[in-house]
Amino acid sequence: MHDIHQYTKSKEAFSRAARVIPSGIYGHQGPAEGCFVPIEAYPFFSERAQGSYFWDVDGNRFIDYMCAYGPNILGYNDPEVDEAARRQREQGDCITAPSERMIEFAELLVDTVASADWAFFAKNGNDATTGAILCARAHTHRKKIVFFRGYYHGVAPWTQKIDYPGILEEDVANNIYIPWNDVEALHRVFDENKGQIAAVIGQPYMHGNFADNELPAPGFWQTVRRLCTENEAVLIVDDVRAGFRLDLAGSDHYFGFEADLICFCKALANGYNVSALCGKEFLKNAMSSLSYTGSYWLSAVPFAAGIACINKMKRLDLPRLLAEKGERLCAGLIGAAKQYGYDLRVSGAPSLFYLRLADDPSLSLHQEWISECVRRGVYFTCHHNHFMNASLSDADLAETVAVAEEAFSVLRKRHG
Amino acid sequence: MTDPRVLSFINLHAILGSIPLLCALDPVSAALVGKHTIDLGIAVKGGPSGCLSFSEGRCSFREDCDDDCDIRLSFSRPERFNGMIDGTVTPIPTKGLHRVLFLTKVFIPLTDRLTAFLRPTKEALADPDFFRISTTLMFHLIVRAVCCIGNEDAIGCASASYITDGAVCLSAGEELAFVICAKDHRLSVSADPQKETITAQMRFADMKTARALFDGEINAVASVGTGDVRIRGMISQVDNINRILDRVALYLA
Repeated sequence: MHDIHQYTKSKEAFSRAARVIPSGIYGHQGPAEGCFVPIEAYPFFSERAQGSYFWDVDGNRFIDYMCAYGPNILGYNDPEVDEAARRQREQGDCITAPSERMIEFAELLVDTVASADWAFFAKNGNDATTGAILCARAHTHRKKIVFFRGYYHGVAPWTQKIDYPGILEEDVANNIYIPWNDVEALHRVFDENKGQIAAVIGQPYMHGNFADNELPAPGFWQTVRRLCTENEAVLIVDDVRAGFRLDLAGSDHYFGFEADLICFCKALANGYNVSALCGKEFLKNAMSSLSYTGSYWLSAVPFAAGIACINKMKRLDLPRLLAEKGERLCAGLIGAAKQYGYDLRVSGAPSLFYLRLADDPSLSLHQEWISECVRRGVYFTCHHNHFMNASLSDADLAETVAVAEEAFSVLRKRHG
Repeated sequence: MTDPRVLSFINLHAILGSIPLLCALDPVSAALVGKHTIDLGIAVKGGPSGCLSFSEGRCSFREDCDDDCDIRLSFSRPERFNGMIDGTVTPIPTKGLHRVLFLTKVFIPLTDRLTAFLRPTKEALADPDFFRISTTLMFHLIVRAVCCIGNEDAIGCASASYITDGAVCLSAGEELAFVICAKDHRLSVSADPQKETITAQMRFADMKTARALFDGEINAVASVGTGDVRIRGMISQVDNINRILDRVALYLA
């Protein structure tokens, strides 16, 4: 039997936070957007992290399958990445003139990412996707952008929906939404908007929340690529979430096509804050023309960390490693569910697996199972895909399956 | 930012549509209806229509206004009907003019009573019975307004377009629950909540929490963290209903 975690200090900290911070914890890491169902099962604040674990302020340890929602790809506090960052910090980080690390990092990305002729750096995934949209509009002198329903491309106004607080109709007036995997719909919108579409933007596969993740249908991306080329629209791949977990050369390379622009963040520097927009040569002048920068965008420490991270990912052949670990884990979880008569569905890539208990379409049972896992020290979420990282050991995977089994046994006892 | 046509749906379905519940909860209102047996129809050109049926101290509401009603109030456009609700337009019945006394002696006092509960003073809310009736009516009105906005308002329809089929239970403590059903992105309030298969829930800890949220004194997202608001099930349904709730405040301000 695993210990059931208690969260006394987390609760106290949240009360403090709620007094001075909107929502206490806002955004995806907060209890509302993070879908803490019920809140009693989840820690609110962390104290430290190492490898594949984090510890909360109550001292509870978690095997972490959210990896800070993606950035942790090698393991928290990876010694090689941290050493590279430390050395650079001693030399300087945020300086009036950028460091040569910036050039080295761009060169490394151009050598690594199949569709990249150049790299442009910022801080968050949203900076990269917004840069891509600006670049596409600057190049084409067109307004409209095609999205695939279920997308997430950040939080800038153009990425949000018309009914979100603070968003104006004008912010999203040039957005066109079509279903994922629907090439007929894409044909139609190109026909109906001749000469008006600046770009098509999509994640490499549909990893939306609250629904099974959906891979591209055979030939889907190749058709999208062809239609974009024929209509002189820019094809943008938002690889912020999946980037480097499927293919170090980019997820477009993994699915057999070439993006014009590709956005990276999360796994790029193992938690150091940097994002990158990579693009084709024909878009370099358009990117150069933008008025687009930020106070910390050219800081050197994250560049040094990114270089070390990419080199280590290459050495480990990381996508293969993560896929293998992910497949093993998911097979164990499905087996644990079967043992207690439950139908656990796994979708998406094994390195970014999404879980859903199919026994209850309302997801309440799924939320209950996830909460029982979290209470026992395995950090899953009930609404979002998960993330594998390189430091997960065989023992971690075995412990995770054991916790999952125990959580299923609790559900079976409770519900008969 | 608001559409008079959508407001006319809210005024009829949510505000006047709360009179049946008012009569059920408030003995003074029930006494006002008394022995009257009258069907009051309302038809708004380019907007909604409906009928309030009064009988034996009770009232019921149905959508659509047929020719059988005893009194009929017709409005040439939504703005005229909205004017009646905010007191700037005096309606003249197009049918049942001889029953005008029912309007002045029963219907208008009922709407005044409803207003007292829906726009209460702080002092009035100090009375527990008044608080209970007021909060129940407000909850009912908001839930109905969510459906009007999700079905009729351009931005509300965008939110509803993301709501998958199912039944979302909105409740306050153990004492109060309403169920919004979504079917093909059209929303309706369930007439028989016990029969629905609930796919998502948003539960306020108690009526006080519900009241504080309605009055804008606390925030729903922050309240999830404190446990004062609990969500479960198909949370995307709750998310999208919350986005419509934001617009309810805009229309009812």
